Amino acid sequence: MTAVHQFVPTLAPRDAVGGHYLAVQETLRAAGYRSDIYSYEAKDEYKRLARPFTSFDGDARAAPTWLLYHSSVGSPVADFVAAREEPLIVDYHNITPAPFFSRWEPALAGALMKGRRQLAELETRAELGLADSAFNAQELTELGYRRTSVVPILLDVAALDSAPPDPATLERLSGAKNAGGIDWLFVGRLAPNKAQHDLVKAFAAYRRLYDERARLHLVGASSSHQYEMALSAFVDALGLADAVDITGPVSAGALTAYFETADVYVVASEHEGFCVPLLEAMHHRVPIVAYSAAAVPETLGAAGLLLEAKDPYTIATAVHCVATDAGVRTQLVEAGTERLRAFDIDKSKRKLLEAIEPVVGTP
Amino acid sequence: MTDDHVDIHKLAAEIEAEVRARRAAGEYPPGFERELDRLFDRFAPPEVSNDFDAALERAEDLVIVDPVIPVASRSPVLGVVKRVMSKLLGWYHVWLAQQISALATAINTALRLLGARVVELEHATGDIARARGVGARIAAVRDDGAWEAPVTNALHGCAGRIALVECGDGALLGALVSSGLDAYGVEPRAAIADLALGRGLEVRVDDGAAHLHAVGATALGGLVLRGLVERAPLGELLLLIDAAAAKLAPGGRLVICSLRREVWGHDATAAEADLVAGHPLHPDTWEAVLPDLGFADVQVHPAGAGAYVVTAIRADE
Repeated sequence: MTAVHQFVPTLAPRDAVGGHYLAVQETLRAAGYRSDIYSYEAKDEYKRLARPFTSFDGDARAAPTWLLYHSSVGSPVADFVAAREEPLIVDYHNITPAPFFSRWEPALAGALMKGRRQLAELETRAELGLADSAFNAQELTELGYRRTSVVPILLDVAALDSAPPDPATLERLSGAKNAGGIDWLFVGRLAPNKAQHDLVKAFAAYRRLYDERARLHLVGASSSHQYEMALSAFVDALGLADAVDITGPVSAGALTAYFETADVYVVASEHEGFCVPLLEAMHHRVPIVAYSAAAVPETLGAAGLLLEAKDPYTIATAVHCVATDAGVRTQLVEAGTERLRAFDIDKSKRKLLEAIEPVVGTP
Repeated sequence: MTDDHVDIHKLAAEIEAEVRARRAAGEYPPGFERELDRLFDRFAPPEVSNDFDAALERAEDLVIVDPVIPVASRSPVLGVVKRVMSKLLGWYHVWLAQQISALATAINTALRLLGARVVELEHATGDIARARGVGARIAAVRDDGAWEAPVTNALHGCAGRIALVECGDGALLGALVSSGLDAYGVEPRAAIADLALGRGLEVRVDDGAAHLHAVGATALGGLVLRGLVERAPLGELLLLIDAAAAKLAPGGRLVICSLRREVWGHDATAAEADLVAGHPLHPDTWEAVLPDLGFADVQVHPAGAGAYVVTAIRADE
């Protein structure tokens, strides 16, 4: 029996990529491949799902054995798979370019640079490069990867309904909404490349031009303490502390509550390799306004108002249009529902097998 | 859902056009965007990539490792655990932090000494870096009227956003916008940028090269280079053209506005010529190098007696 074992830097719950690893394992096993997960670290309830990567010493029960490495920031796992003899597949979820972090978190910038160096070095070993998006596949091609396939992240959108809205969060958000004003939402780690500071600028312009009762919710853990501090100070200095909610990490139920009360999902990111929260917004029927950068236009398709300019007035005006034109809002929501079908998990699982089977052979 | 299906792409373009029109009509508070940028920059760490002194100051800010363990937590229980751990391990962190701080201080001191030696060398060789710093602050005053027609013609029908790098007081940028082009400016000198902003134009106060670095790949439909093409040394110029090739979409248009070598150093450009490292290239040079840097259909157009415009198309990969 052929084995395709996954090697990952970190396996963590409540993480889209973590869910992807598990869905890949389920898909491979269902197709008849042997498939285990080896990681540098596994967190919380996922600890029992992965083995330490250093414990892998070949798979005597499988012939042949393939390694599937999920590329990320600089990791000893990359060096480990590079040194192994088994044939290799690289799954690339994108690595944020280091310059986004160099002024904020120099150490993290170093880790990102190392991750990209490792990705480039694995090119000579990789028989196949998988990528979440054509944008990511293009980066692999530029690094010299000869054979690439686009396989969207395996996200079970239906599972998003398994977490009902957290009652306390829902009550708080609904209470604020009753006082008037619309709710802007962005979900993603606080990070310079996600440009939450540009969202705050656009939000400030929106309040000045259109609706001074509006609120902005920035949901997600932080990738940079420095950036988080600067963002908070910026919000305070603008006098928007009561209107901008920087939540930190939230539970699945609280996240559902944020989506259910949002009037518009707004993205100002400079760099995204896929942007999973766009799919979550589509699922929760929240209209999307997004700056057209990196993989965002590819993931969004026609399911959002895609802007070439990201100055505060343009974003604010686009949000105002979505907030006040019921026809546009409805059309965007319907387009989102339609777009979501392209990322149906069963369809993506088939794409994964169609990409892998010609390379590794049948189970 | 309404019966009227909206073309979402067209709607986005209309919104962008509306904002441009309102900006041009002076409907937006002119200094508001600049004020937002300035305010956020106040809280952001300095950009240190090109400035040795700023980089050293930043390193010195970080040189003392704080031995106080952060104990704040959103969870009360975790907060208690952190405080207990802090008490138990505090002495060890102080011991570690002192050693790391001592090492970092020693390295910084060595760097400071090295920097001082470099400054001495610079003085000995005529303090070139200082002169360049002074030169960089001088505005690139040009007669934009001379190249207005060839630039506008070259960009006619251009799809996508057009960046005019070193837009100066906005005379040329204003002409592009008036002719219906989706153009914005970049100007590193804030006082000059304010003049362009005062015309109701969209202007980013940023270094031209740094701005191009931040723009997404193939995001631009057109790029006009003005001012810095005469001032940048040859190596920087080549890097700038590399960046232009990366940021222009295939088929995108590159337009270079340059003075002729013969007029450089006369009249308004005398101080620049004395202080900056670069100088205008001969048109033939652009014709020779651009095809090797990813551009096709390179053409030179005269623009009055002392200037010329080079146009080129970003070649398909």
